[in-house]
Amino acid sequence: MKTRTKGQAVFRFAQRSEQHVRWVCFWIAGLGLLWLWDLFFLNSPALSLVRTALFNSLLAGLLVVFFSMTLGWGTGLLVYSLEKRKNTLPYIVVTFVFNLIRSLPQIVGILLGYVLLTALIVQDILRSPFLQLVSMSFVVSLFVFLEVMDLIRERIAHYKQLDFFDAMLCCGIKESRIVNVEILRKNSLAHLVHKGVAVFGMALFLQCSIDFILSVGLSTEVSSTNFPATLGSMLARMDSKQDILAISMVFSDPSYVTSLFTRHLQGLNIAFALVFTLVCAYNIANGLVRRYHL
Amino acid sequence: MDQFTFDIKIVADGKPLVDIRDFSLQRNRVTILLGESGIGKSLSSRGIYGFLDRSELTVTVNGLAYEDYLHTDQVRGIRRDGFFVFQEPSSHLNPLMTLADQIGEGSFSGVPGMPEVLRTLWEGTSGEDLDSILSIYPKPYRPSGGEKQRILLAMALEKIDMLPDSPTPEALFVFDEPSGSLDNQYRDLFLSLLLDRYRKRPFTVLLITHDYSMISRISGWHRDIMDKVQFRELTRGECGLAFHDFQPGTYTAWVDDLRRSAESRRAPHGQEPLLTIEPRLEVFGRTLVITKDPGGKIPERLAVPPGRMVFVKAPSGTGKTTLVKRVMGLIQEGAFEATLKGMPLTGETPRRFWQEQVWGKRMTMVFQHADEALNMHSTMRKTLLGLPLRVPLTSKGLSRLIGDLFEGSEAGVLLDKNIRLLSGGQKQRLNLLRGLALDTDVLILDEPLNGLDFESATKVISMLLRKMEAGMGLLVISHNEEIFDALAGADQTYYLHAV
Repeated sequence: MKTRTKGQAVFRFAQRSEQHVRWVCFWIAGLGLLWLWDLFFLNSPALSLVRTALFNSLLAGLLVVFFSMTLGWGTGLLVYSLEKRKNTLPYIVVTFVFNLIRSLPQIVGILLGYVLLTALIVQDILRSPFLQLVSMSFVVSLFVFLEVMDLIRERIAHYKQLDFFDAMLCCGIKESRIVNVEILRKNSLAHLVHKGVAVFGMALFLQCSIDFILSVGLSTEVSSTNFPATLGSMLARMDSKQDILAISMVFSDPSYVTSLFTRHLQGLNIAFALVFTLVCAYNIANGLVRRYHL
Repeated sequence: MDQFTFDIKIVADGKPLVDIRDFSLQRNRVTILLGESGIGKSLSSRGIYGFLDRSELTVTVNGLAYEDYLHTDQVRGIRRDGFFVFQEPSSHLNPLMTLADQIGEGSFSGVPGMPEVLRTLWEGTSGEDLDSILSIYPKPYRPSGGEKQRILLAMALEKIDMLPDSPTPEALFVFDEPSGSLDNQYRDLFLSLLLDRYRKRPFTVLLITHDYSMISRISGWHRDIMDKVQFRELTRGECGLAFHDFQPGTYTAWVDDLRRSAESRRAPHGQEPLLTIEPRLEVFGRTLVITKDPGGKIPERLAVPPGRMVFVKAPSGTGKTTLVKRVMGLIQEGAFEATLKGMPLTGETPRRFWQEQVWGKRMTMVFQHADEALNMHSTMRKTLLGLPLRVPLTSKGLSRLIGDLFEGSEAGVLLDKNIRLLSGGQKQRLNLLRGLALDTDVLILDEPLNGLDFESATKVISMLLRKMEAGMGLLVISHNEEIFDALAGADQTYYLHAV
């Protein structure tokens, strides 16, 4: 009876709470369940690897969000201040550089960045795995932050069209405070959080794609083993690939399905964590759009 | 059944927006509904007419769910025989049809009389010019707000003309801020056209307005039907929203008092003006000329002396707001010359100078739309404490300041409430308070009485008078001409013309 009441309470919560809150809860609960399952059925070395890869990937995603927000905010303000100047040359130069970055496919840009990082690792300049992770995240954010910069500029432009901006100027409030506090912090928080969630999903996807490409495609000269383990690099491992290919066995022998969740756990685990996180990020972002009418 | 009675409740996301128990309208009478903006006048009248969106709002009328209410004979009758003129005329017009097509569709199809009503509302305009306006596909920026408003008023008047001779008890004509975009000349013309029709054959009118000068107009020019006109005010009390009768004499006596006290306060001439503006200025390729005569023949330099109010008048769309934005240095384009406390201000004055010497220090401006001018995600406390005042506000000073325009108990509740949750009138009072708190030498006010109820308007005017006594110079643009004519006097009234 007690369990039923709890179940009902959970159901009621899921029904009543808003989409983004619901999906954050799903995500945490899903990863928690996965963790529990792994504790019971995954062997210890694989568990340790999966745990490290998941942690590294999530941390890298968060670092990309942090770097992108900082770079996006800073460059957004830089472009805004250059735009107002009578001398338009600095504005033209800066926007040209940003457009150059924009014109480069993200995946190609990040691969080039990884080449540089590999060189640093080979020369023993980047030794610490944490620093390597931070550098990887920074490289990814260099090709993602423009989205944040565009948002910052769009928010400022929107409020500049309204009386809001002029009314505050007339009150003697400094322009820097109007932009940073009144517009961006007080009136754009939901937009920034939404963008942060999108950047997180994008970073996870890009990083895993790059790690996968590096591990599978660039085999001998540049080895992904130099970089900290991530979900992408784990996915590219032979045993993970075998685990995923084992899904096809179910078509010829349906009874094999139970083995997937016990014997082929590593690859499926990684694939699930990746796809599930991306689905959740997508739904959280959509929920924020609906909730805050973005 | 000599009156419409509605018990209306509107809820959004579980929050009650409107809960009125006694929304009653005398049949075949004119009800003028006053009250601060955002209190629920428009929303409830749209609810009665069946215009609310059921997907976003939960509405019950007279105990019926909205779906059931919409299928009652009463609503069918109201919509069939009556007409609703929306506050924002653009929302009423279809952008994919010309105005000419729209005034001839639906119940107006085949009606020959419409051009006659239109011609009356466009008096002084040639038939060709009127035809060119009617051939327009309406967009947000064209035709002008006033022209769109007149189109809708013409449709409503035509619908009144179409009423059968036999009584039509369900016919309800709602005019939501019908003079919001009209100059006084057209407002008075509309009132005459409406009330002349009423004299011939009474019908039920609900006229929602913030324009208190309508009271003087009706009581002065339409005195013969004053017993058929009911002035009511919607106010928010401790028990929620409630209607009260509003005595027109209260307003007219107040304006007379203002006029008398302004006469006695007039300072002697010869004082050094705080602000002067040369009579010709250019903005966005347009030339604006300031004159003292309504005809616009003799350009004259505008001067704002200390302790005086200067009132600038012009028809809608002439560029009054553009003028004051130019004076505030917010538009920095085109030739312009002014002095502020002896400091020259021109089109070449650098932005840094405005920031360091003018904005919030010697001159400030209160914008027309509080909704746009205030940070909706801030609170009253943060808005006022965030001002760069000469002497920072203490909590006592803050209470005193707020107490000027808000009741004690009201202020306590509102102080930390999100601004977007305040009513339109409360936002406008905060908008004014922010400008007044800065204690600058010159204060520019763009439609300062926008959205205020009578009580708030009197408080605002009292506060402006106190500021003037302290030496502040005021430059005002407003459609509430009666009030500001009384305050400024003819010698401090200027006219703006676009040439």
